[in-house]
Amino acid sequence: MSVTLALALGLIGSILAPFAAARWKTIGNALVVAVPALLFIFFFLQLGAVGEAPIVEENPWVPSLGIALTIRLDGFSLLFALLISGIGTLVALYAASYMDEKTPFYRAQFLFYILLFMSAMLATVTADNLMALFVFWEMTSLLSFLLVGFDSTKLAARKAALQSMLVTVGGGLSLLAGIILIGVTAGTFSIGALMENPAPLVESPLFTAIIILMMAGAFTKSAQVPFHFWLPNAMAAPTPASAYLHSATMVKLGVFLLATMAPIFSQAAWFGPTLVAFGGATMLIAALQALRSTAFKAVLAFSTVASLGTITMLIGLDGEVAAVATVGFILAHALYKAALFFCAGIVIHATGEPRLNRLGGLASVMPITAGATVLAAFSAAGLPPFVGFISKEYLFEAQIESTFTAIAVLIGVLVNTVMVAIAVVVVMRPFFRPARRELHVHHGEATGMTVGPVALGLIGLLFGLAPGLVATSLIQPAASAIYGEPLDVSFYLWHGFTPMLALSILVVALGLLVAKYWDPIHVALRRRRIFDRLLDDRGYYWVLDNTLALARWSTLRLQNGDLRIYTAVIATVVTFFMVYALLAGDGPVFPSVNHPEFNLYMVGVVGLIIVGCFVAALTTSLVTAIIGVGLAGYGLALVFLLNGGPDLALTQFSVETLFVVIVTAVLLRLPLMFTKTRTPGERRYDASLAAVFALTIFSAVLWVEAVPFNPVIPEYFAQVSYTEAFGRNVVNVVLVDFRALDTFGEIAVVAFAALGAWALLRRNNVAKKKPAATPAKEG
Amino acid sequence: MTFLYAAAIAAYSGCGLYLMLSRHVVRVVLGLALLTNGAIFLIFFSGRIGSMTPAVIPLGDQELALDAANSLPQALALTAIVIGFALTAFAVALLVAAYKRLDTLDAREMTAAEDMGSPFLPPEGRPVEKAASGKADAGQGDQKMTGQNTTGEVKTNG
Repeated sequence: MSVTLALALGLIGSILAPFAAARWKTIGNALVVAVPALLFIFFFLQLGAVGEAPIVEENPWVPSLGIALTIRLDGFSLLFALLISGIGTLVALYAASYMDEKTPFYRAQFLFYILLFMSAMLATVTADNLMALFVFWEMTSLLSFLLVGFDSTKLAARKAALQSMLVTVGGGLSLLAGIILIGVTAGTFSIGALMENPAPLVESPLFTAIIILMMAGAFTKSAQVPFHFWLPNAMAAPTPASAYLHSATMVKLGVFLLATMAPIFSQAAWFGPTLVAFGGATMLIAALQALRSTAFKAVLAFSTVASLGTITMLIGLDGEVAAVATVGFILAHALYKAALFFCAGIVIHATGEPRLNRLGGLASVMPITAGATVLAAFSAAGLPPFVGFISKEYLFEAQIESTFTAIAVLIGVLVNTVMVAIAVVVVMRPFFRPARRELHVHHGEATGMTVGPVALGLIGLLFGLAPGLVATSLIQPAASAIYGEPLDVSFYLWHGFTPMLALSILVVALGLLVAKYWDPIHVALRRRRIFDRLLDDRGYYWVLDNTLALARWSTLRLQNGDLRIYTAVIATVVTFFMVYALLAGDGPVFPSVNHPEFNLYMVGVVGLIIVGCFVAALTTSLVTAIIGVGLAGYGLALVFLLNGGPDLALTQFSVETLFVVIVTAVLLRLPLMFTKTRTPGERRYDASLAAVFALTIFSAVLWVEAVPFNPVIPEYFAQVSYTEAFGRNVVNVVLVDFRALDTFGEIAVVAFAALGAWALLRRNNVAKKKPAATPAKEG
Repeated sequence: MTFLYAAAIAAYSGCGLYLMLSRHVVRVVLGLALLTNGAIFLIFFSGRIGSMTPAVIPLGDQELALDAANSLPQALALTAIVIGFALTAFAVALLVAAYKRLDTLDAREMTAAEDMGSPFLPPEGRPVEKAASGKADAGQGDQKMTGQNTTGEVKTNG
């Protein structure tokens, strides 16, 4: 079975299974779990093939734009696919149980979003075409919006949902700009093609801009400084969504993209150091904020942000070990962090208490959860023999071997100290310390909910004990993919007595110390309001509020209910661009033209037009103005008549007469006295605007004459009008034969205008007069 | 002659725009009519003016004489005249209906849409909004820009 087919079937299953779940609870829930589980098995079976060479499948999509839904499954995307489908299976199982007491529709809706998200995620990581990747990337943002705001009756949830979407979709726009620039410079959107021939991209002067734009997209998605604020707020989502989207998978898309593009981007010397700087800053700020957080999920969220910062830093570090460390860390983090979120969800679900310091003594009530938390936390703390220990060893090794040794190691030690402390606190506080106050536990642990964390915890232990299971099959292809060339990977538990081991011991010791004094540190840091001012989402609200204020201001200015302002703005802008086009062109503003012979009577006719126009514009009497417009119209009819257009002249005469009759008839019902509605200043502005407009039109007309005339179409009409359409009046033939559809449209316009006028003037429609306006005001 | 035609088209456009910028809706409609004529003239002109012979094939001939007028701009102009008239007629109907319902010919006082409130503010915030919008609402209330009533701001302006 091809990957494309598997993904398509997965999507169909993702759409259908939740509907079944809404209808039949047991079978439906089983189906919902089966969809990701089958996908996981499928991707698991691809391990062997991908280990040798990436799987590439071409599926044309928009061939004219060079966009193909090509699937490219290399080691790194396979790692992600396995994490997405594997954790997706557990999340589906967990969510079905988590939402057990909710209505079937509510539960099915949630599962629907979760499974759709999984499909979008799988498509994102397997897409070879950057445009396709972008589309699926934005789909994950949209689904994240729906999931964060799932409790849509809560204001906080809606706000957080909007925030997460504005930040990630805003970053997505930056990403799109970067992708378009890549397409322009390299001539391809295919990642595979770029990897094979990066030269046009690297040598382009736009290379720097491309990297910055793509980086901005990745940083928003992966919650890097200065966009770190949205992820903790996104914890308003139901816990299964938090575990899935906001720790294990979606937020890693940013680092996925950076790592995928790293072999190309690292040819810019500043790429690595920039990532190290942003990653390091994110790690420090997230660690600090984690210490200041009270809510269970918020602590985990900030530790997730710190982990994402770690991955960003690892991508920026040079060397083979960094690639292995990146892959190892992504794997280990997904396993233990999802498990911790699952456990947090169980605890919060059972107690209804989201604050960490109010929880306690739950080990006796929920022993399985406590055990799973211990397993996951050991891995998170980087203790042997868990996979987290191996990944931390590689992290330190990558930092030591890189060119940033001192600063990278310092940040690594500080942040991992906090991680150890967090691991200790999330185990001890809810489960093993007695509660400070009476805790009301609504229910014990449900099997569906404990399967996930226990499985993930055991896998973390298994991979730690037997790293050979993943070393060559999973980590080697993935690390090779992001390193750009094949690597010989050694991924094992015991490295001997190395500097890394010393650092690990130091970190654990310091972490235990911080955990012991967690409360005083927490209170002391929490008191420092300056951190709120510096680190929370004030900047976001500043931008948002000012954008809205700008919108409000411009609406009040431009949409102020004064028709004149609307017309003046439009006319000014149009005139400005016409003048600009004239002045920016190569030729003269007023080109010289050939003059056809001079007819004295034409002078009279044109004079009639000009006089009529000015009379209409300048008079203070409406009746005179109508006469002026009528004069100008008759003048135009004469122009037609004297230049070989009798049909036109006839029509123009009738139309102009009708116009004068209608407007005069209407005027009988309106106040005739002419009142000035503009201030002298306004009138001066309007007059000068009209003058500039007229002058520009004048010049444009001369330009029309100066451009050589192309008579192909009229000559064609002249030749075939009689022979093919059997009409001697060529204008008529053009109207009813060659351009019959235009005429049909014209008839439709007239019909609609008539209908509209009829609707406006119907008697019952105008019966509703303003009560205040009834006193006689007719002139 | 080109300069003359260009001047005529420019006069149509300039005077039409000047009238359209007025707040008196009848003048706006008149301006629309002038601007329409300018556009029609421009279409006619762009097919080159010169021949006085209508684009009609004489009896017995198979093809149009070479010196006949250009048929294409004439056909387009004919369409434009009719559509322009439909538009103007609709505009006239609109202004009659507006006058009957709102009892004013001043565009500033046709604020039925604005009176529904701002999309930015909740309904209770509307008074603030109206104060902030300033000039747009200044002509509200007793200052009807009808035939005889030219009080307040409008009078001082005029």
